[in-house]
Amino acid sequence: MDDFGRSIPKKIGSWQASGKDRLFDRQTLYDYMDGGAEVYLAFDLRQVWVRKYAGPGGGELTLDIYDMGSPEEAFGVFSCDREDPGAGIGQGSEYGFGLLRFHQGRFFVSVMTADEDEASGRAVLDVGRAVVAALGPPGPGPDMVGFLPRESLRPERTSYFHANVNLNNRYFIASENILGLDRSTDCVFAEYGTGAGKPGCLLLVRYPGAERAVAARRSFLASYAPEAGSEGLAQTENKKWVSAVVRDRYLIIVFESPDPDWARRLGSSIDIPKK
Amino acid sequence: MTQMLTRRDFLKGTTAALLGASLGFGQDAPLAKKARVVLVRHRDVLDENSAVAPDILQGMLDEAVMKLFDESDPVKAFAKLVKPGETVGIKTNVWSYLPTPPELESAIKRRLVDAGIAEDKIGLDDHTVRTNPLFVNATSLINARPLRTHYLSGMSGCIKNYIMFAQSQEALHPDSCADLGSVFNLPMVKGKTRLNILCVLTPQFHGRGPHHFSRRYVWSYKGLIVGQDPVAVDTIGLRLLMAKRREVLGKDQELPPVPKHIQLADTRHGIGVSDINAIELVKLGWDEDILV
Repeated sequence: MDDFGRSIPKKIGSWQASGKDRLFDRQTLYDYMDGGAEVYLAFDLRQVWVRKYAGPGGGELTLDIYDMGSPEEAFGVFSCDREDPGAGIGQGSEYGFGLLRFHQGRFFVSVMTADEDEASGRAVLDVGRAVVAALGPPGPGPDMVGFLPRESLRPERTSYFHANVNLNNRYFIASENILGLDRSTDCVFAEYGTGAGKPGCLLLVRYPGAERAVAARRSFLASYAPEAGSEGLAQTENKKWVSAVVRDRYLIIVFESPDPDWARRLGSSIDIPKK
Repeated sequence: MTQMLTRRDFLKGTTAALLGASLGFGQDAPLAKKARVVLVRHRDVLDENSAVAPDILQGMLDEAVMKLFDESDPVKAFAKLVKPGETVGIKTNVWSYLPTPPELESAIKRRLVDAGIAEDKIGLDDHTVRTNPLFVNATSLINARPLRTHYLSGMSGCIKNYIMFAQSQEALHPDSCADLGSVFNLPMVKGKTRLNILCVLTPQFHGRGPHHFSRRYVWSYKGLIVGQDPVAVDTIGLRLLMAKRREVLGKDQELPPVPKHIQLADTRHGIGVSDINAIELVKLGWDEDILV
């Protein structure tokens, strides 16, 4: 990442690099982030490279390039907080209100200005485009995303992560870690059109072994749906259905299902590879 | 948190009650043992560019502290907080996107001086409080910071503002920063906090990742939440955030990521009250879109 100091232009349009470039690793990330380092450390973060750009009217942009160790992890960080339309930069991107987020290869990038106007917004996108070339080729996404049934899937709402902090920011389930998520677990959270109103949601968790998947299902049902029978199916207060089943070392939870059959169909159509 | 909270509590509409942020404020209950929290707002404290009007802000702070002690003079009210000869540390917050406004720091300083504190005995610091002689020797502390959501702890308020007093901030991060309240029991801090000011001039109600800031997620609320109990102050702050999130993001996103540290500051660390029935909220000034 030291090369970024040379390979990424110091002047982009009328914006000029300001101050010293900085580099943080897993140990020093706390010096850069006010209490949020764990969110990146829950992924396989290696380093983050930071540069500021100063604009003609006193504006400032912050460029953060995170080396996430693999393209899967870079996709994961990118996928957890998506809200805006794509910007056509890198492998996947979004831009809105002065914040550009994208991933390319093993890198996740954010370019941000706190005081967004037309000029600084344009500069954010220009910086992003200038950075992509320095990041190398694209890479594959997480294998688990490929397990998901494609019909009615909302790809831009699919997230990949490991830890409970990411799940709760994506879709709050419980104030305690009732699924036993940690760095050894892989999770995909996806949304599906139901044909009526709000989307249905799917959480797929891969545990290191089947025992943990079974224990997590038991814990989830005890805390979240104690009324569920052996099928792990219960109706919630909003008249939707929740279901939890285990296949091999995978826990499959369907939330916001319009009816029991929809949950069953979605759960059974996940293409989990045979052992 | 004494009771686990799940998504189904949203669906049942019991989230707020479980977090101590219920809609009713129990005004009929006896006030004697309640923690008083003052919410003061002024329509003109910010201009259209969010620049602070210092005199109006000074007036808001004065009004709040006077109400806190049922005093009619701001200097007399501040004299109930500190005594001449003391060393006082103002724990501020320097997060670059949404710091404690300098105008608020000046307003606090001014009244401390009026109350007899020597200017060179007033410390103002954030990241280096543990080694700053004015904080090491402080006999009183004033806690002042803006309100915002936080990716790990759910909410950054007065309780979280003291994390810089901890030897290891990292050690306080597990489990949604559950034990932030423990910092108030450290020898350097315990029993010294005289006033907590949660600045809600432009609170941030949502964020995208750990250190994200965008103008789209702040709003001009133009207020201060002031009290002697940091837990009670943060309980009101949480209620405000939840109301704004409900309004903008929808009911199922009303809660920022599990702000369990607020209730645990009460039930586990005993540094204040999070039970809404034990809080007396006094509202002063502008009441349009007050939300709480």
